This record gives sequence, structure tokens and C-alpha cells, in this order.
Amino acid sequence: MSTSFEDDQNNLRYAEYVLGVLDADARAAVAHEIATSDEAAAAVALWQRRLMPLTELLPEVAPSAGVWPRIRQALGWDVRRESRSVGFWGTARPWQWISLGATAVAVFCLVMLLRAPVGGIPGAGHIALMVSSIRQDNGVTDWTATMDLDRKQIVVVPASFPAVPIGRSTQLWLIPAGKAPISVGVFAAANTTVLPLSKELLAQLGPTAALAVSYEPPGGSPTGQPTGMVIAKGAISGAAT
Amino acid sequence: MSVTSPVSQAAELDPLLLRAAMGDRAAFADLYRRTAPRLLGVCVRMLADRREAEEVLQEAYVAVWQRAKTFDPARASAMTWLIALARNKAIDRLRQHRSVAGDFATELESIPDEDSIPAVRVERGEEYRRLEQCMEQLQPKQRGCIREAFFSGLTYNALAERAQVPLGTLKSWIRRGLLQLRACLET
Repeated sequence: MSTSFEDDQNNLRYAEYVLGVLDADARAAVAHEIATSDEAAAAVALWQRRLMPLTELLPEVAPSAGVWPRIRQALGWDVRRESRSVGFWGTARPWQWISLGATAVAVFCLVMLLRAPVGGIPGAGHIALMVSSIRQDNGVTDWTATMDLDRKQIVVVPASFPAVPIGRSTQLWLIPAGKAPISVGVFAAANTTVLPLSKELLAQLGPTAALAVSYEPPGGSPTGQPTGMVIAKGAISGAAT
Repeated sequence: MSVTSPVSQAAELDPLLLRAAMGDRAAFADLYRRTAPRLLGVCVRMLADRREAEEVLQEAYVAVWQRAKTFDPARASAMTWLIALARNKAIDRLRQHRSVAGDFATELESIPDEDSIPAVRVERGEEYRRLEQCMEQLQPKQRGCIREAFFSGLTYNALAERAQVPLGTLKSWIRRGLLQLRACLET
């Protein structure tokens, strides 16, 4: 164990960070170190292990019922097809039934849609939804997209928190089987985004098409075709649940 | 919520957080259910305001989901990681919009130590007992400052003002106390 004065001074900063006595600027400096230096992260984790047991003497406080729904909302989880993961909420059961009903209706509409000639859009009064999980190669779902054919719009919801490089936009593409990608639009990676679906896009939606997301210059690809790395892809399959 | 011993609790929480890191929402919901009361207890103690504490709790769990991938069970237990994250959020909140001095008339000597806090949590883990043993070996002033700093989230400046001692004196109490704690815990 090294206990030189300098090591102690450096290690003390991490202790002070964990204890919570540093001012905002000094805290930010240590937080930056943690993010960039494994050694700093390890030293801070060690101090956390040493000091966090102090909290064991505090009484627990049950959160109000509204906190969890707000967390879900902040994470962008509260869209129709996510009702399955509600889990322990008392509302799970009715939701599951509603969800099951919605699935049946959506599958029916999808079947009707697929039987119609390509480009056929159901008339008013029909519900027609398609969904896609836009995933990285490692299987992590970055976004879910729900296509509402009646409203002619696509809703893109972040499922994880993909780190988009600074100065890059995320652009959504529709790739019909064997054809060139068509831009759906630039969207905010970390927020729910609603984009309009043009006639051209609607005509190409279906189980043989796919969605893809690429990094592009701010504002989107200057060429009309993807110019940056494709970070995630998703098949358009089935209907919303 | 069932009462679980710290050991079995740790054994159950680590896998939940690791599953949340892989995008498992059900595991995250379970993790919230099991750990939120503990984290809210910490936030309420630090912010002394239930509503604000719940806001910070919300921020904390959003960050838990976002940063779960950085959790390393070899470095700390899930509970330690979660509490540290919640405390960081609470401290950030304190730094954002509270004038540090003047809000508190309390002097250091009048701050209750743990004996005057009702022992709602009956079970205390081995780590807590070890830490308490080492805290006992500190001078009362060092012990009081460290405990106060930990639970108030106040800066050195604010603590010095509150304790009515020069800044340098307070810093050296705390720093020496921290180094002694480290030495004691490493033996």
C-alpha cells in the first residue's frame, strides 16, 4: 500500500467527493476524472464502499405511488406496446387484456393491409399499426418505432440511451427490400419523435421493408442517402401489442 | 416489502442491476421496488423536503437505467452503487439552488448522532459495524464533522460556518479523519 503524501492528497479528493464536501466546480472535475480514468473510478468506488454503510442507520421512506410512473415516462416507456413490462403495477392485468385486444385488432388490420395492393391505405375508421425494434448488432434495442398508417405518422421512442457523437444527427431510413433507402427524417435520439409518413413511404411499408438509423451531419444527410455509419436496424414486423 | 438480510439482499440485487444493464425492464422495475425506500430515506435525510427528495429519487432511477452498464459488481455492491448515485443526485441538487450558508442555524454540537435517530432498520450489516468501530476511534470532533458532512451534503465552507470554526481547521479535521478511517478499515 502506498501512503506517500501525494497519493494521500489525490486519494483524499476522491474521499471528499464521496463524502460530498466539494463545491460544484470541484465535484464536476472529479466526475470528469471518474468518466475518463479507470483508476479514479476505482478509487471513488472504494470510498463509496467505505462510507455508504453510514446510510444503514437511516429509516426507509416509501415513495409515493406517482414516482414510478414518472420514471417510466421520463424513460419514454409509456407507449402502447410497452404495457407488458409494467410488471408489478396493479393495472397490469387490465392492460394486458387491452393490449391483447389491441394486438388482435392490429393483426387483423395488418392482414387486411397486406391483402390490399401495395400502397393501399385503409380508409378512415380503420386502425393500422406496424412496429419495429431498431436494434444494434449486439441485440440492444435503441428505439422502437410505431407506424400509424391512418394518421400517416411514425413515432420513434428511445428504448435505451444510445450515445450519439457530438455534432452528429440521427436519421431514420426506410429500406424496401432490394431498393435504396428512403429518408424518413432526422429525429432526436433521446426523445420521443413523431415524423410524418409521406405517400411514398406509406407505399413501401410492410414486412419486407426494414428501418435503419445512421449518424449524419447536423440536419441530416446532404446527399439523400445514408453517408454515415448505420448504427441500428429493425425489421418491420407484425403489429403493435 | 419483505425484510431481507443485507447479505441475501446483496445477492439478489446485483443480478437485477446487471439485468437492467442489459435492457431488462422487468428487472429494473423489481430493483426499484426493492431499493427505492432505502434511497428515498437517504434523499429525505439530505434534502429535508419530501417533494424535492422524490424529484431527486426520480432523477436517480432514470440515471440508474442510463448508467447501469457502468455498474461493476467487483467494485461495489448494487446497493452501494445505487445509494452513491442517489447521494450524488441529492448533492448536485443542493449545489444547484440552495444558498449554503445561513439556512441552517444549527450548530455542530446540537446535531444528533445516530443514537438519537429511531432504529427503524433493525438489521445492520457487517460493513456498517466495521465502519462504526473505526468511527469510534476518531476524535469526537472528527467523527461529528464526517457524519454531518455525509448526511448534510454541505460544502467545506458551509460546514465551517455552521460549526463556527476556521475553514482550515474544519478541513484538517475531516481530512485526517478520512485518512484514519481508511487506515482502520484496511486493517
